[in-house]
Amino acid sequence: MKTIETRRLPDLAQALSAAGYCVVAPIEEGGVVRFREWAPGLAIAPGAVPANSSKDFLFPRSEVVARFALEPGGFSPAPVERSAVKTVVLCARPCDAAALTALDAVFNWDYRDGAYNARRQAMTVVSLACSKADEHCFCTSVGGAPDGVAGADAILRPADGGQLLVLDELTEKGRALAQAAAGTLSEGPAALDAPAVLPRRFDSEAVGRWLAANFESPFWKEAALACLGCGACAYACPVCHCFDLQDETDHAECRRLRNWDSCGFGLFTLHASGHNPRPDQSARWRQRVMHKFSIYPQKFKTLACTGCGRCSRLCQAGMAIAATCERIEALGR
Amino acid sequence: MKALREAAEKLLREKRVSLVIGYEDRKGRPAFFAAKPEDCGRLAYDASCRQNLAAYLGKPEIRARLPVAVVAPPAVLRSIVVLTAESQLPPGQVLALAVDGDSFLGTFDAAGVAELLRAKYSTLAPEPALLERVQGLLQKSPAERAAFWEAEFSKCTRCYACRAACPGCYCSRCIVEKNAPQWISTAALGHGNYTWSVMRAFHQSGRCTLCGACEAACPQGLPLMLLNAVLDREALEEFGSRPGYDPEAKPLIGSWSADDDHSYMR
Ligand code: SF4
Ligand code: SF4
Repeated sequence: MKTIETRRLPDLAQALSAAGYCVVAPIEEGGVVRFREWAPGLAIAPGAVPANSSKDFLFPRSEVVARFALEPGGFSPAPVERSAVKTVVLCARPCDAAALTALDAVFNWDYRDGAYNARRQAMTVVSLACSKADEHCFCTSVGGAPDGVAGADAILRPADGGQLLVLDELTEKGRALAQAAAGTLSEGPAALDAPAVLPRRFDSEAVGRWLAANFESPFWKEAALACLGCGACAYACPVCHCFDLQDETDHAECRRLRNWDSCGFGLFTLHASGHNPRPDQSARWRQRVMHKFSIYPQKFKTLACTGCGRCSRLCQAGMAIAATCERIEALGR
Repeated sequence: MKALREAAEKLLREKRVSLVIGYEDRKGRPAFFAAKPEDCGRLAYDASCRQNLAAYLGKPEIRARLPVAVVAPPAVLRSIVVLTAESQLPPGQVLALAVDGDSFLGTFDAAGVAELLRAKYSTLAPEPALLERVQGLLQKSPAERAAFWEAEFSKCTRCYACRAACPGCYCSRCIVEKNAPQWISTAALGHGNYTWSVMRAFHQSGRCTLCGACEAACPQGLPLMLLNAVLDREALEEFGSRPGYDPEAKPLIGSWSADDDHSYMR
């Protein structure tokens, strides 16, 4: 088995960095663990579910998708630099890796998204199996597992009571990465730790069936009462991918920006006429749940939720999507 | 807690309110909406309750259900007075179930809230820990402070959880969302982020009750209370403004007087 001591994760990051990868890893700063670019000297915090998801490195929160140079009497399109740096996400959670299937589907649906796909091709995902889960985790209710490999190029599995990590390559990209890091890996036996035990909380298919038939249910009004309409949940979600195009101009050029958007915002899908098909917070919360558990599976044969629990961990108002699904399943019985 | 639950239950039973907005008796103390007397057994309050429930009073779905009661520790009581002073609460439509630490202080209307605050909390000052954080920051050089804020603002994703958390942020269309003309860049990047957070704090100057809900809501852990606390001090020292005590007081940033200090205009 290929192994590395857990405390030597920074050495692994160093080796990959030396091999030309931009290394993204969970790093603590000011009490918040976040996926961010690793640099020598930074400790890696493998235990936590970072506040942000690894989608940030495929679909950044703001990016310029078009430029127009302003000239006397008009403007002309200017080139946009499309940079896709060879990147590795180290210690992604299995629920981050699993999100890639859902993201790939939408970014290659009726239009192949150049920016997304370029980054996707340049990205290697090394997930870290979870030996513990918290009360917000629910991957097992949405088809995942604490040691699931979906979407990952390689997986690190804790062994010897967390002292060691065993690396399993799963794809070509994973094998290339293992080769690049060969100097930091050892060959030898290890006793794999048991993955986290996480009982299934709800049946996502039953939830989907109820949703498909209950768009107008009074349930939504009451279920969304606490929602304050911010974007914390959507922005933390590894699958949420709605965006808003904005043109911003200064004296020299106009930039067309693609910014993250959230169905929680009152401005979401507000038409220029003033009409909004989702006029209140209950319609917007319904959109969030429907999109993840009914519309997405119908369209792409995959859920748009991987059970990472980030939205519920972060929500200031205590909105919890798994609890909503449990209630929905009960309504359908 | 028994007294709080009983008072809430009584309001619903006597149909004086249609909804009690409180904190639920479970981990994280999330917001809880009691619509029936029997729901009130699920209410709880303790120091871990970070949300400012007065933020719900601006939400159309809640306004459609007035009259309502709100579980309110001192900072939230002040928010209710601020909203009253700014004509945001229909008279007589909001009751406060005042709490502080382990005690339930009673049920109050807007005038009663102001009286309670003056009688019991007139010397309410920012928490010492917060003032210490502010002092630490102010001891830095301007260049160090700029670098500090640049690093902090770079984390902002523009999720607007800070805005959603604040009872003072009740505009139906926030200036950050206006694009004809556009005032603040929408990109979640340095310059726009800087403007966003500073603008948010400025719009709260003389209105912020230092409840801490915005900072607690920020998923990225931005130290927003440092901005709020400095502006709170400026509002007090420069204009004698103590928001949230006088329901008749004109809001500091919404009023103008010929006697104001205009020396900055040259
Ligand atoms: S809550 Fe934090 S991350 Fe979100 S907009 Fe406010 S400062 Fe930015
Ligand atoms: S700006 Fe002031 S009143 Fe508003 S949430 Fe923050 S601390 Fe509370």
